[in-house]
Amino acid sequence: MNPLEIHVNGEPVQTQAAHLQDLLLERGHALTSAFACAINNQFVPRVQWPQRALVQGDRVDVIAPITGG
Amino acid sequence: MHQNLESMDGSWQVAGVTLASRMLLGTAHYPSLQVLSDAVGSSCTEIVTVGLRRLQPESGGGNHFWQKVQSLGCHVLPNTAGCHSANEAITLAHMAREIFGTPWIKLEVIGDDYTLQPDLIATLEAATQLTRDGFAVFAYTTDDLVMAQRLHGAGCAAVMPWAAPIGSGRGPMNPYALETMRRRMPDAVLVVDAGLGLPSHAAQVMEFGFDAVLLNTAVAQAGDPVRMARAFAQAVSAGRAAFESTPMPERSAAQASTPTVGMPFWHAQ
Repeated sequence: MNPLEIHVNGEPVQTQAAHLQDLLLERGHALTSAFACAINNQFVPRVQWPQRALVQGDRVDVIAPITGG
Repeated sequence: MHQNLESMDGSWQVAGVTLASRMLLGTAHYPSLQVLSDAVGSSCTEIVTVGLRRLQPESGGGNHFWQKVQSLGCHVLPNTAGCHSANEAITLAHMAREIFGTPWIKLEVIGDDYTLQPDLIATLEAATQLTRDGFAVFAYTTDDLVMAQRLHGAGCAAVMPWAAPIGSGRGPMNPYALETMRRRMPDAVLVVDAGLGLPSHAAQVMEFGFDAVLLNTAVAQAGDPVRMARAFAQAVSAGRAAFESTPMPERSAAQASTPTVGMPFWHAQ
């Protein structure tokens, strides 16, 4: 299968992952950590990660806590 | 000593919780996480704000910071800082709710990158949607009275006008507008957010009757953030006590403090 060409946090990425959760694991994210995901600016709840299919051109954002005012 | 200071002025409520401290504290720009932790302790604040950014797995993913924040024992108020549209802010709020497990959101939608002035139209749009989605919205806004009324009418848990641009430390640029907002919105929770630089600035707006102040840079970038946090807490407490004590009215002419009855002979002629 040809890899999907998507963007993750603004960077172009080629991936074999078919679903969001596969992508997160492929990129080394510990699934129990404090972070959240959006695809194409739409929030994807954690419970949907295993089923959320990726398609060509998806823009994935993975965000985490930082200091803030 | 800290406990006594906070108990002098009454508690207040926001978003369903009762709080003793009237000071909210941001978590950015401190020299270290330990200084942040010490500043939170010395201020006795019960609400800290946090941000969200793209995760870099190699940096540890923000979990160290998040663990430190959790250890503070404070309510967490995530923000939407950096968002430039209602849709961005709404998406980020939903992500924050999942990460932090709270419906609280400090809504910021920036309209101008130089002044960091909020986009009030987009802020109202996002606030309206987020309250429908079950969020307790703390809306960052300017000192515009009508927009503050609209945000309150949209169901915001707190309306948070700026005193001056974020991080400027200039203090209230338009005290009249802030004072008028407080008078015109007696039932709203009003928190002054942004632009305070000195404890006297905080005391001033608390004397107007604001429910609380939100601080970050003025504490974090002080030479001694821990001591400055305490100084702000004392000023906030003093300002609130002054408001509750009903300050005397201003007069246009002098009025002697010492009674004139029984004055000695040397003014009799």
